[in-house]
Amino acid sequence: MKILFRLILLAVVVAAGVWLWTVLFPGPENVIRHRLAEIARLASFNANENPLAALGGAQKLAGFCSPTLQVKLAAPTNVEHTFESREEIAQSDLAARAAFGGTLRVEFVDVVVTLAPDQQSAVADLTARMQSSSDLNVQEIKFTLKKIDGQWLVTRAETIRTFS
Amino acid sequence: MRTLLFGRNPKWTLIRIAVLVTVCGLVFGFVLLPIRITGISMLPAYPNGSLNLVNRLAYLRHEPQRGDVVSIQLTGPHVLFMKRIIGLPGETVAFVDGRVLINGKILKEPYEENLACDWNSPPVTLAGDEYYFVGDNRSMPPEDHEHGVKKRIYIVGKVLL
Repeated sequence: MKILFRLILLAVVVAAGVWLWTVLFPGPENVIRHRLAEIARLASFNANENPLAALGGAQKLAGFCSPTLQVKLAAPTNVEHTFESREEIAQSDLAARAAFGGTLRVEFVDVVVTLAPDQQSAVADLTARMQSSSDLNVQEIKFTLKKIDGQWLVTRAETIRTFS
Repeated sequence: MRTLLFGRNPKWTLIRIAVLVTVCGLVFGFVLLPIRITGISMLPAYPNGSLNLVNRLAYLRHEPQRGDVVSIQLTGPHVLFMKRIIGLPGETVAFVDGRVLINGKILKEPYEENLACDWNSPPVTLAGDEYYFVGDNRSMPPEDHEHGVKKRIYIVGKVLL
């Protein structure tokens, strides 16, 4: 009985150690997932948002992108917007917040991260759920990220058409 | 009170609960996927906010058929599209003044009789593993209505109700 208790205790300690290790030293896939979740949080906004908070959010969002990037977003009306710098991202984010007017909740679900063999770049395929007060839109997006100066930054993002 | 909660034989009550939980876990985890419909693209048969089930085993013994309402996977299982199959592998699908043409012949769609549609699209020929999916509510503009070609592997199952 004493041995069994000690074995169970050992298993619990090992499991706690493994869990702590993954929390303190997350793998690249988990880091990427956390960064994408943060991007979704920053892309969300409330109605009547403080302009300073909006500016801060837009600049933070742009900070998740590499200095040179390509973002191709197709609107539901099939109009495509292309952005190629952090400044363009920040400006268009601010313009979208002002034009939209209401509350928007963005959530990335079903994130599939594929790391390159050298673990210095990755592709993340995901589904973005965009919930406004009156509407729900879903859109598949493909993100390409690169590890630059120890940080995973978005180098490319494009919307994917579900049906061809 | 104790008898009311655990029954006359608590051991058997626990066994019954365990069996029920296991069966529910197996059925709803691997066979029937519960879904909540969001959006108007499948009106009038499937209204916004209604609940339904997807039978994941529906196509184990046969391939999807024309007219089947199926759920289609995007990048994972949390968000699915619900559409009707109108085109089968190898067929040519086109929209002409709101009518669906399959290999040049008009497709009879009883579920579409009361809905006005003026869609037009050029013919698309499907590959051996491709299907053509569209929602029932074609009174909305085609650019607002997700529809088109997708491979067989993205079909999760057949909508049950």
